Amino acid sequence: MQLLAQVLVNGVLLGGLYALMALGLALVWGVLNIVNLAHGALIMLGAYVGYYLFTLLDVDPFIALPIAMVVLFCVGYLLQAGILNLIARAAMFNTLLITFGIDVVLTQLAQMLFSADYRTINPGYAGANFMLFGITLPWVRVLAFAVALLLTLAMWLFLLHTRLGRGIRATAQNLGAARLYGVSPKRIYALTFGIGAALAGGAGDLYGVVSQINPYIGATLTAKSFAIAIIGGLESPLGVVVGGIFLGIVESLTALYIGPTFVDVASFGILVLVLIFRPNGLLGSTT
Amino acid sequence: MSGNLLEVQGLFAGYGEVPVLRDVHIAVGRGEIVALVGSNGAGKTTLLRALSRVLSGTGKLTFEGRDLSCLTPEQVFKLGIVQVPEGRQLFDQMTVLENLMMGAFARRDRKAIQETLASVYELFPKLYERRTQRAGSLSGGEQQMCAIGRALMAMPRLLMVDEMSLGLAPVIVDQLLEVLSTIRKQGVTVLLVEQDVFAALEVADRGYVMETGTVTQSGTAQALSEDPEVKRAYLGI
Ligand SMILES: Nc1ncnc2c1ncn2[C@@H]1O[C@H](COP(=O)(O)OP(=O)(O)OP(=O)(O)O)[C@@H](O)[C@H]1O
Ligand SMILES: [Mg+2]
Repeated sequence: MQLLAQVLVNGVLLGGLYALMALGLALVWGVLNIVNLAHGALIMLGAYVGYYLFTLLDVDPFIALPIAMVVLFCVGYLLQAGILNLIARAAMFNTLLITFGIDVVLTQLAQMLFSADYRTINPGYAGANFMLFGITLPWVRVLAFAVALLLTLAMWLFLLHTRLGRGIRATAQNLGAARLYGVSPKRIYALTFGIGAALAGGAGDLYGVVSQINPYIGATLTAKSFAIAIIGGLESPLGVVVGGIFLGIVESLTALYIGPTFVDVASFGILVLVLIFRPNGLLGSTT
Repeated sequence: MSGNLLEVQGLFAGYGEVPVLRDVHIAVGRGEIVALVGSNGAGKTTLLRALSRVLSGTGKLTFEGRDLSCLTPEQVFKLGIVQVPEGRQLFDQMTVLENLMMGAFARRDRKAIQETLASVYELFPKLYERRTQRAGSLSGGEQQMCAIGRALMAMPRLLMVDEMSLGLAPVIVDQLLEVLSTIRKQGVTVLLVEQDVFAALEVADRGYVMETGTVTQSGTAQALSEDPEVKRAYLGI
């Protein structure tokens, strides 16, 4: 019982971070209709920004987080303005092809610049825990969970209550009408992609604190983000949080009862089941 | 130069290889309500698209003497040429208030935006009542009000309304036409595209009749509504 509770808590904590990872992918997907296969590579870049700020300049990873987000925002904005706007509204296959190409280039660049070695961001408090009802809670994971949820909430408020957020939602809902009222889709697209990349960057920085990183983590993280976006649906950040935590719990339980090597099998098995039985997501309407 | 707000001379436009508009000439004076009528597929919507530059074409397009042909849709919008599109095209998942605010998306003057919002609510008290309701769940008449209100939030100088009466009860159409007259008194010029010829000519000063991509008749609203040919073709008399 104690063990199960511990595993569930671990799953929830991991799931918060997963939600933040998937949020950027879901946003870009919903607004630009692009499934960004380079999303995981952007998470990986964010992780390295955090890593180098910590190792070279001794910047605490939680303070590095906004920096990683700004850097990745710029990367994302430039990618969209420079490359992806050329294929805006193109067929899904073309966008998949281009973002896959970007993924390959970013991964190779990272391997050349950062080497293929495993790295971790290891601040002094990395091993610190506290106990609650007999469950061990590692500080970094709790903090990462809290920050991830805060960022998700901030994102939601931004979309709901600001002029730009409104413009982004309007563009997603009715591109033609948005254009009639002075919205420039290319700017909105670049901004949205930039925000998606910034969220990836923040998630990457946090990921580097709780896990090991190398240039190849991107592919799996893209796939997990995709699974979460499908499970949670594209409509609201709440869905993504539910999807993220769901996946986190499933992975933790699988690792405990079946074996750590089956974690990815389980999460993609669930993705397939959701696609078959609830294609609009766990929270989505059934019609 | 003439005092016309909008002038269109020898406009040709179409979709890809398909020509739709052939040598269209129209003019809209400041403060006028001009009706553009014609049967299905005559090219009325296409003309509005060419005017807002979503569709390119050849010919002379001027707004207050400024050439429109080299401007982007966003630039034309900023000059004050604003459309209420056919089929309303609201942002269905967003509230009435959010839809109205989208009309003011290009404006940055917060205080003035609130004033425009107040004047829109004054024109359409219904919209104020429903301001937190999702636009997609409004009735047809309310949706059209929301669409007109959204366009007014952009502070148009020329308001182009496409098929306002579509699917609405005559009472509602009359109310909306009333509102257009009020708007005109407030200094907004109106180009009203309608299949409901009778309703349109009732509030308009002048009108143009379009047939298969070109203007076939024009004149004062009164003259047109008394014209035997127009009567026969559109009023069924
Ligand atoms: N996107 C498009 N691509 C190709 N042809 C189009 C397109 N939109 C309209 N057309 C064609 O252009 C012609 C004029 O259409 P338009 O919509 O301008 O007519 P309309 O006068 O507005 O008609 P209605 O009163 O039914 O709205 C029609 O023959 C139509 O088939
Ligand atoms: Mg039309």
